[in-house]
Amino acid sequence: METLYTVLQGLSEWLLGVIAWLVDWTRLGFLSGLADWLETEPVLTAVTTLLVAVIYLITLMMMGLCFIWMERKFLGRFMDRRGTQVGVLGFFQNFADGIKVVLKEHIVPKAADRGLFEFAIFAILATSFMLFGCIPLSPQFYVINVDLALLLGLAIFSFAPFSILIGGWASNNKFTLIGGMRAAAQLIALEIPILLVVVSVVVMTGSLSFMDIVSWQQENIWLGIPLFIGLITFLIAAIGEAERVPFDLPEAEAELVEGWQTEYGDVRWGLVMASDYFRAYIMCALVTMMFLGGWDGPDFIWAEIWFLSKTFIVFFFFVWVRAAMVRIRTDQILTLGWRRLLPLAVVNLLIAIALKTAEVF
Amino acid sequence: MKIEERTYTKADHLRPTGYIMKSMKVTFKVLWRCTKNRPNTILYPWEKLVYPDNYRGRPGIILDKCIGCARCVNVCPNQCIEMVSIETPELGKVKRPQINVARCMMCGNCAEICPTNAMLVTPEFELASYNRADMMYDPIKLQHPHKPGYEVNYEFALSSELKAGTAKTYAKNDPNMHDTIVLDGVKCISCARCAKTCPTGAIEMVETGELNPKNKKPIKRPKFENTKCVVCEQCVEVCPKSALSIKEVL
Repeated sequence: METLYTVLQGLSEWLLGVIAWLVDWTRLGFLSGLADWLETEPVLTAVTTLLVAVIYLITLMMMGLCFIWMERKFLGRFMDRRGTQVGVLGFFQNFADGIKVVLKEHIVPKAADRGLFEFAIFAILATSFMLFGCIPLSPQFYVINVDLALLLGLAIFSFAPFSILIGGWASNNKFTLIGGMRAAAQLIALEIPILLVVVSVVVMTGSLSFMDIVSWQQENIWLGIPLFIGLITFLIAAIGEAERVPFDLPEAEAELVEGWQTEYGDVRWGLVMASDYFRAYIMCALVTMMFLGGWDGPDFIWAEIWFLSKTFIVFFFFVWVRAAMVRIRTDQILTLGWRRLLPLAVVNLLIAIALKTAEVF
Repeated sequence: MKIEERTYTKADHLRPTGYIMKSMKVTFKVLWRCTKNRPNTILYPWEKLVYPDNYRGRPGIILDKCIGCARCVNVCPNQCIEMVSIETPELGKVKRPQINVARCMMCGNCAEICPTNAMLVTPEFELASYNRADMMYDPIKLQHPHKPGYEVNYEFALSSELKAGTAKTYAKNDPNMHDTIVLDGVKCISCARCAKTCPTGAIEMVETGELNPKNKKPIKRPKFENTKCVVCEQCVEVCPKSALSIKEVL
């Protein structure tokens, strides 16, 4: 099958050939070894991988921008106003914001722990970008396809409370510290139901690879129908994991200024704000992948389009919830996580096991 | 002491159905409405709200009607109106109000008090400019075409009549129902400055029939014609011996 990797392999082979030819053309004796080395297999693999990663990253960052744009426009309509107005339907507002944020000064508070302060932001950004690689858009368009992709994605995702706590602590500010604590407590409380729901999906499909999960759904049925309880549980927990409005305690603009990001400025803050939406995208993609059949759909358009449009529909639900709900308290979130979502996830797991043992599918 | 037993019903927004389902229903209705029609927002520089007929924007003036009584100058709470002399072919050299629009708070009191309805409230409110000198609206610049509804009219009743139970309403600028100027004859020195300064010509110097014992000339006293008077108080201000005063209608 022709994948992104194999398509780009030809391109990078040609690119390396051109460079090797240029190196040969200089007729410098000490460079002759370099030209040979450029055309070896490992270099070709490395360059192709790099190209794939860059293309995938740019694609998904544009998707993230689309998510921000979509939220702004839809939230505006939900509130009986127009959203952003810059450019075509307000799409360029994001770029304007980005330029503004890039031009800001980088300030580190005097009493902050400088090393950790800088590290935390890169930790959360790096994990957010790494998550992109774990989610394939289609059987052709992906970066990595490992057997444990689902587990890998969730493992990277659960790195977030760690870096948030570090960032909140290192800022040396009461708002950031409280925000960091809340984030850690909330994310850990909602991690357990998410993992249990994922286990039920794995029980049904018998694989942790996204490719297998989606192909199982293509052969049998979209998992959202038999595991409806799991879908609902996962959606609620996903909104909490993405730190979106009914569960946006870590940020809590009204009471905690900007939550754990209070002391951050310039482009780092901008990227963290954007990474909120990247993480929301990851959650929407997981819901799509596990319950809504991934890229499954009629063949008249690309599989990637099917996948992304389903993601957008899930994200519309997120925006709708944001427009409708008010923020709930910390103890209510923890109660919801441990005493409501966890039993629901267990029930869902039992349903999955029952369906599997009865050999319905 | 007996404590009354009460049963509390849970408020709708505290139930999960109310908290989740109802709010989602309400917001989706809004989304549907503004996607189908249009949102509430007015895109201001391109679209404008329909302003009411009696919208009080910046003041405007009709120079033909203005008599230069300076009542607007006295009433202006921000003291942004000043009488300046202008010279036009029709009017000659006269004093007319100039308004510092930057300081104006658009209260419309000047139009309210104007005895000839020369001062208007116009619907213009986009007055920003790049320097302060442009905000000084001299009488020529202040002119504005007239439309019915731009002038401020009102009716009033007298409190004494209200108390007596025979309340009547009077229109603004009722020539027979306004404050009057009272002359203290002992103080008057017959200088005739009030007659010269009166913008409406309501004051006339009339011989009283007495003769000045020193130079044997007839003594003149000002006579006020109340239907012409607009109570601008310029005569009161200009009187060198404070012989004139205002008698209010209460």
